[in-house]
Amino acid sequence: MRKVLVLILALSLFTVFFAKEQVLHIYTALDENEWPIYVNAFEKATGIKVQVVRMSSGELLARVEAESKNPQASVWFGGPALDQIAAKKKGLLVPYKSQAVEKVPAAFKDPEGYWVGIYFGAIGFVSNTQQLKQLGVEAPTSWYDLLKPQFKGRVSLAYPYTSGTAYTVLAALVAIMGEDKAFDYWKQLHKQIHHYNTSGSACVTQAGLGEITVGIAFAHDIITKGIAKGYPVVLTFPKEPTGYEIGAMSMIKGAPERDLAAKFIDWMLSVEAQNLMVKWNRIPINPDATVAPGAVRMQDVNVIPMDFEYFGEHKDRLIERWKEEIEYGM
Amino acid sequence: MNWLKQTRRLINEPLLLAMIVFVWALLIVFIVYPILMVGIKSFEPKTGVYSFDVYRALFSKKYFITPIINTLKLGIVVASISVLIGYIFAYSIAKVNVPFKTFFRTVATFPIISPPFVIALAAILLFGRNGIVTRNFFGGVPPFEIYGFLGLVIVETLAYFPTAFMTLEAILISISSDLEEASLSLGSSKWRTFWRVTFPLSMPGILSAWLLVFSQSMADFGTPLILGGRYHVLSVSAYLEITGSYRISYGSGLAILLLIPTLIAFFVQRYWLSRKSYVTVTGKPSVIKVLEPNVYVKVMFTAICATLVFAVFLFYGTVLFGSFTKLWGVNHKLTLENYKFAFTYNWKYIKDTLLLASIATPLCGILGIMIAYLVGRKQFPARRLMEAFSLLTFAVPGTVVGIGYLLAFNQKPLLLTGTALIIILVFVFRELPVGVQNGVAALYQIDRSIEEASLDLGSSSNKTFWKITLPLLMPAFFNALFTAFVRSMTAISAVIFVVSGRWNLITVRILGAVGNSDLSQAAALSYVLIGIVLLAMFFLRFVTINFSYQTKIRRAMS
Repeated sequence: MRKVLVLILALSLFTVFFAKEQVLHIYTALDENEWPIYVNAFEKATGIKVQVVRMSSGELLARVEAESKNPQASVWFGGPALDQIAAKKKGLLVPYKSQAVEKVPAAFKDPEGYWVGIYFGAIGFVSNTQQLKQLGVEAPTSWYDLLKPQFKGRVSLAYPYTSGTAYTVLAALVAIMGEDKAFDYWKQLHKQIHHYNTSGSACVTQAGLGEITVGIAFAHDIITKGIAKGYPVVLTFPKEPTGYEIGAMSMIKGAPERDLAAKFIDWMLSVEAQNLMVKWNRIPINPDATVAPGAVRMQDVNVIPMDFEYFGEHKDRLIERWKEEIEYGM
Repeated sequence: MNWLKQTRRLINEPLLLAMIVFVWALLIVFIVYPILMVGIKSFEPKTGVYSFDVYRALFSKKYFITPIINTLKLGIVVASISVLIGYIFAYSIAKVNVPFKTFFRTVATFPIISPPFVIALAAILLFGRNGIVTRNFFGGVPPFEIYGFLGLVIVETLAYFPTAFMTLEAILISISSDLEEASLSLGSSKWRTFWRVTFPLSMPGILSAWLLVFSQSMADFGTPLILGGRYHVLSVSAYLEITGSYRISYGSGLAILLLIPTLIAFFVQRYWLSRKSYVTVTGKPSVIKVLEPNVYVKVMFTAICATLVFAVFLFYGTVLFGSFTKLWGVNHKLTLENYKFAFTYNWKYIKDTLLLASIATPLCGILGIMIAYLVGRKQFPARRLMEAFSLLTFAVPGTVVGIGYLLAFNQKPLLLTGTALIIILVFVFRELPVGVQNGVAALYQIDRSIEEASLDLGSSSNKTFWKITLPLLMPAFFNALFTAFVRSMTAISAVIFVVSGRWNLITVRILGAVGNSDLSQAAALSYVLIGIVLLAMFFLRFVTINFSYQTKIRRAMS
């Protein structure tokens, strides 16, 4: 008996300490069902093994900050550039430049090379058509439509501090209305909210399931997780301008696997990789890549120009104000 | 000077001394130190600056006060309802001769061995705006708001009434029915007998069960994260403060506020109530005579039990059905796709969870038995303190343990974040009380004279341990292994703070899937987990039957 116990102990310790191999570790803000599309193709194309953890953008930022003395992952893959700009300001990223990055249009990358865009996405509304019919209202086409009494307790989105999507919404509202007016507006909106999620795209499925009537999310998530899946939902945009994101990736400071990370970033910018975005109805950054039919391009919607640098830098302050005045302020 | 004598004796037994030092070192590094770190961090709003700022904020800002009140309110309501239901259930099984006892009991314990958020998932599938019940019986208008206080009460009650039931059943069985018979034969009615005899005797058990459920509800993380809606509780607020905003000191402060009431509940329950037990000791073996009530009463109790069991079946059945549907709420075509998905894309999570829990479980069992042996059989200074510390993680909410590990092992020399080891350590020390308690209980039942006989016959104390005590402890050991394994497989609140890219767990994945409203996927993953737990249960039964000393004796005799 004693020998068996000792053997179990020795074996277990052995597996823990010596079972290490060279793999690339990635943190992603992409949907749990989406990231395997790219990562599996990358593994096949390069033979590099990849391990991925999925978190919402805000959680990802917090995790990278928490681990800054001992970074556990090399690449921050996906989610709005906003959060990565916030990370850059906090000194959590390291610049990366390569031929592949050079080719990306200047509007879609950091001039110093701290982050580079992968895709474009616009904020839209997802509405459950059956419930719209029941309530006798049209799908919202203005931010102010969300304040209609019929939608009371039926609107959902994520917390701006956990989700990049929701922070993009906050930033867009500030860009459209000015900061004080944007907060006044959200105070009205807060009364309509059913609940907040941690993940930005969760409200799409919830609208599809009819748990809520209207959700606020990125158009590509609405198309892929809502319309394409067969849920009774419709995608609309606010006629005042809407906000948008540059989905980005970056290299984490102190990256344990720098070379592999560089390979991944370069590969993600290739036409081969960017073509895969068709599957999630994203708009790829690479102009040579295929765009999914029906996907929402920048020229298809009225978007407000957004100063990402500003919103990245002021994230902490805006979030604090949001918590104080809106989440618990009322 | 008792302790002086004990210390002197210790010096003469270097092996024992080494063991005690070893255990103390582990307890201090992996239980006391992390919890202390949470406390210290809550006084350190900025690195290097110590002040009461955090607590000043916690008690002045509405966004901290609300969760504090919410948590207490939820805990009190859930504990009260659970104890009421648990008492009726236990009374039916222990005192009223209801039919299908074993069946009722087995079903009632089901929520204990399954992952806690499965019931929350079922609640959404049933009572959400698009749930089966809502759609088919209420025309799409939810009968009540499942996201929020009411939903939490229903789900947590269903999840935690088994705890109350088990505690109360043990108490009710231990109340000798002689007393009740005496009361009846002296002319009291059954109603009066219940209120004057049975109920007062079960009072300590009722309080005990109430405190246990109260702590469980306070510490619950998965359910409020899924179903809380805008009803914020401390465990979720602490989690969001840390993972959403990286305000670790505020998260720590919230965790401390969560810790205080649970610690109080634990010590009251363990060290005060256990002494006040009115268990009737008569000296002669008391036979449980079940009083045959009249038919109406019996039917009523059976109906109550059946309703509860139906609810449990309904909830678990819904999740099972959900795991085979293509797209819940829209397309209910049956498919195996979700399981295929679980075993391909999510295989890594399943594999990691199995591997880590399998490594942690034996370590936890061995350490637990070792501590139980020291505490139960040896005399040394601070023996009771060692027991208290080893049981501490029972009382400490997982959220506090998780934050503690995050803080304590994030820098040299104990840099463990991101490793498998940190998850294993969380499992080992979080489930340590299971091993200790099982071991101590078993040791009390083993008569010392058996060991003394071995010593008198010339065996060394070492040999006596390996040949006599350990084999007798084996059933308790295996039982502890099983419980620790199940609890590790289904744990969420502590480990969610220490998972990483290299090592992630299936429960975290399920929570993510629910958060993302991928309900069918979450349902399939939950059933994979339940399947593993059931397999482990059969494996345990096989092991205990084949390796227990009773079987060996039986074999030797035949």
